[in-house]
Amino acid sequence: METGHALSSPLGRITISGEAIARIVGETARECYGVVGMAGRKWLPDRATRGIEIGGNGDGVTIDLHVVVEYGLNLAEVASTIRNRVGYEVERLTGLSVQTIEVHIEDVKRSG
Amino acid sequence: MTGLNGDREAVEKLVDAALASLEANRVRIDDLNVYPVPDGDTGTNLTMTVRAVADAIDHTSAASRHSLARDVARGALMGARGNSGVIFSQIIRGAADVLGETDEPVIDAQATARALRGASDAAYRAVRRPVEGTMLSVIRELAEEAEARAPEEPSLTQLLVDLVRRGEDALARTPDQLQILKDAGVVDAGGAGLVELVRGVAAAVSGEPLPAPAPIEEHLSHDAIHQELSKYRYCTVFLIEGKDLDRDELERELEQLGDSLLVVGDENAIKVHIHTDDPGAALSIGTRAGTIDRIEIANMHEQTLDREARLLSIVPDAPPAQSGVVAVVAGDGNRKLFESLAAQVGPISIVEGGQTMNPSTADLLRAVQSLDAEEAIILPNNSNIVLAAEHAAVNADRIVEVVAATSIPAGLAAMVSFDGSRDAAENAAEMREAIEAVVTGEVTLASRDVQLNGVAIVKGEWLGLADGDPVAGGVDFGDVSYAVVERLLAEPRELLTLLVGSDGADLDPLLARIATAHPALEVDVQQGGQAHYALLLGAE
Repeated sequence: METGHALSSPLGRITISGEAIARIVGETARECYGVVGMAGRKWLPDRATRGIEIGGNGDGVTIDLHVVVEYGLNLAEVASTIRNRVGYEVERLTGLSVQTIEVHIEDVKRSG
Repeated sequence: MTGLNGDREAVEKLVDAALASLEANRVRIDDLNVYPVPDGDTGTNLTMTVRAVADAIDHTSAASRHSLARDVARGALMGARGNSGVIFSQIIRGAADVLGETDEPVIDAQATARALRGASDAAYRAVRRPVEGTMLSVIRELAEEAEARAPEEPSLTQLLVDLVRRGEDALARTPDQLQILKDAGVVDAGGAGLVELVRGVAAAVSGEPLPAPAPIEEHLSHDAIHQELSKYRYCTVFLIEGKDLDRDELERELEQLGDSLLVVGDENAIKVHIHTDDPGAALSIGTRAGTIDRIEIANMHEQTLDREARLLSIVPDAPPAQSGVVAVVAGDGNRKLFESLAAQVGPISIVEGGQTMNPSTADLLRAVQSLDAEEAIILPNNSNIVLAAEHAAVNADRIVEVVAATSIPAGLAAMVSFDGSRDAAENAAEMREAIEAVVTGEVTLASRDVQLNGVAIVKGEWLGLADGDPVAGGVDFGDVSYAVVERLLAEPRELLTLLVGSDGADLDPLLARIATAHPALEVDVQQGGQAHYALLLGAE
């Protein structure tokens, strides 16, 4: 019936749409150190959610992010920070449990 | 002037001093860490990153300042740990790019200003949306300070004194720039690390000893301390060496074990990082693929708990709440529901009891006096306990309001309106209003024969009550429960809450009937765990 993710509370259910989660992910990812852009899945119409796929089921949310990272940074550490921070913010702001976060570094770019 | 070797020795001395300064403050900086994720490791990560730079200098065979700068930058890149380490590596790279290009024999104030500008610009370049109130704002202000001072041609010693002061100043302003820091009552951890690095360099240049590290901040708030624990217990890191290692296959196997998985490297050497409850299983996967080395396993829960204990010991107790709740509750599940509704809102004290186990006035009084709150509200949650609650209210050492909820679902509805920052009278008014909006029911086994609309219910059969009055009876649990539901839904309702008793009645047939008859109704089933009542119901 609904496409969103549901939280049960003593007062009833709260549903949160995939798009709302994607926006949180997008806002958070852009602030992650090393991320200079979002990439991939261009058919997603919305800039704020570009490069972000939200999925999952009753066991939690799954998140895929496609990012462009600044050249010359330690990619493993940047990916790890993105993963930690996105997971933390989504769980903090939605109360949903995050099952997996896949960070895809699509490109590295030398900016400036 | 200084030869190439001297250059390397000078850099080595500066890095060692920076590292010593950071190490002396590592724990304090860990404790400050609430952004980007409150995992309390910023000081440790920065220290390990700087240590990697020191190692790189130890091992370099660089024969020119240019190649020394390149090796230092590479050491920082390869050794970067955590978010702060990555930013630091970029700062080092920006500075090294500038210093590596200059042939001037002595690094003076002007060269330092250019290096800091390069560092700041490089740091800002590497993020789409820079966040102020972090290491970024501190390095930017250091660059601005150096540029403002450089034309006066101060000595490097004097410039560094000014830089430490400006860094401290920039750091002190981070809570005004980043709300999460202000909420937690801390300055930025990465920024604090950067200031300590500069302090170390300043001490080395001036020849003065390092000042004693600042004591752990006294005004940390509880929010800075209460960290959520990582889902998994052990942070496990190791290296697999072998031939034809299959990174994807390893990743597939390891991801079953936990999260925060990183599998990086090539077919000859792969580094694994995973948070898991079973480090042994992760290592076994490694030994099947090749030989393992450099194993590090850290108990993250212990780290977090240590940090909590350390910090809580210096935080003054929070002031008592305006009001708190004493609730009489039966069933573990129901107790948890009450506690979770009070969490973050105000204190609660649960008194075990209910239909067949009425707590005494003294029990209630004790619970009231134990509350860390100026005033109290008692939720008896049973009509037989209202009187004892009123007696307790009269005899208590503080103002007590009795909100006469006569069932657990009504008590839960009242809890939703509770707010410990308001006084008892205000809360009681809202909580009573909430109770008015809910109708409640019960399904139990008849403990004696009762007359119901002329029908006799025999002891031992199911008995359904709505707002305290018998409305249905019989041998079929589903039929009796459904009759109660229909009575509760006589007026339109949006939500039906079902609290399942300790016997764990099978609700599926009942839920199917409700879903068919009332498709728009939200139904929430919770394990109440109460004895005697197979089902408690509330509709609002």
